[in-house]
Amino acid sequence: MQEQIKQRLENIISTMTQLPSIPDVVSRIINMVNDPNVDFKAVADEIAKDQSLTTNILKLCNSAYFSKGKEIVSVDRAIVTLGLKEIKDIVVLVTCRNVLDKPILGYDLAAGEMWTHNLTVAILAKKMAMDIKRKDLADIVFTGGIIHDVGKTVLALYVANTFKDIMKVTQEKAVTFIDAEKDVMGFNHQDIGLKILEKWKFPDSLKAVVAYHHNPENSPKEFYKAVSIVHVANIITLMAGVGIGGDGLYHALNPDAVKETGISDADLEKYYSIVPEIVKQAKQI
Amino acid sequence: MANELVNVGVAQLKIGTSEQMLRTILGSCVGICIYDRNKKIGGMAHILLPEALGSNQIEKYADTAIPALINLLLKQGCKKEFMSAKIAGGASMFKFKISTSLGQIGERNIEVSKDILKKAGIALLCEDTGGSTGRVIDFFLNDGHLKVKAGGVEQNYYKV
Repeated sequence: MQEQIKQRLENIISTMTQLPSIPDVVSRIINMVNDPNVDFKAVADEIAKDQSLTTNILKLCNSAYFSKGKEIVSVDRAIVTLGLKEIKDIVVLVTCRNVLDKPILGYDLAAGEMWTHNLTVAILAKKMAMDIKRKDLADIVFTGGIIHDVGKTVLALYVANTFKDIMKVTQEKAVTFIDAEKDVMGFNHQDIGLKILEKWKFPDSLKAVVAYHHNPENSPKEFYKAVSIVHVANIITLMAGVGIGGDGLYHALNPDAVKETGISDADLEKYYSIVPEIVKQAKQI
Repeated sequence: MANELVNVGVAQLKIGTSEQMLRTILGSCVGICIYDRNKKIGGMAHILLPEALGSNQIEKYADTAIPALINLLLKQGCKKEFMSAKIAGGASMFKFKISTSLGQIGERNIEVSKDILKKAGIALLCEDTGGSTGRVIDFFLNDGHLKVKAGGVEQNYYKV
């Protein structure tokens, strides 16, 4: 059966048709915002073409987490008040929710559990980036946090059939769940996530977060710090039990990645201790 | 047997009556379940860390949440001699540099929870703790039994 699963997954990856889709407007907006010469008006026009996207963006702009106090009633105003990067984060939130808030059966996650996990990782990672004075990374780690486990949406079906084999490999070879996934199925959820981001035409920075959030040591150097921040935020969120699934804590915290973030041992524990407050913020989004 | 599901979030504390079932999901946190077999009333504390060290968020820490839970039950007319406890959780990361304090949180949570229960004079009847599995625990207040689901395997603890 394992050989069949490997074949099926190879097929899914090469044809890409069975990977989840999001509207093309998302990658257009991400790439526009990443362009230093971007014109505000062009981004606003791009968003305005899609009425339901516009409505949902305005709703989130006025939510407790993003609101700056005054009610925002237009996309132009939203961009001026929150900034382009924050608007891009909101576009990703709005458009990826449908893909990410479903039950993830093979990993034993009920509807909405992975979504709350992703939001918690995103908010925590952004806070870490701000705390270590790397505001420039805040939007990458936030968006990366939202989508880091997207590969699970596809792999879950196959994990459901191989869960016992995967757990057996973690025990017998003393490897993490992610390595055991690869051992049993030929791919882990990072590999599948990377393929999904290729289909979505997302930038390399976000591909790095998705592809290496459990293995930051393999990340391209230019994205190492952002990947490390999401790695640490993910492990802390799992330890607090938020979005913890059948794979439990069969993962690793990479000490070099912790060092890369510059977060002290005492601060790691502090971040862990504020997870309940972060979850509250996540639920307001 | 229809039990009304009540979710207990991370760092929350709830009590309920015989028709209810308290559920929480645990990583390194510990869920402390206390049941009065006479009144058929019970409660659950989902603690994140062992010691409050002066913090006023009493539900987050074992040394403040457990006494608060016992007090809530006493206010409902429960008696200590009919109360007993079960605990679950306290998992650790599979691979972790154990010298960091974060790596020891699961173990510390278990140790301090047991210690506080002992000091309060509440018998600990069973524990499903440690390892690296996440746990979904269901605490049934009609008979005080605890169901622990970890890594796809279910285990029931009936002693009250």
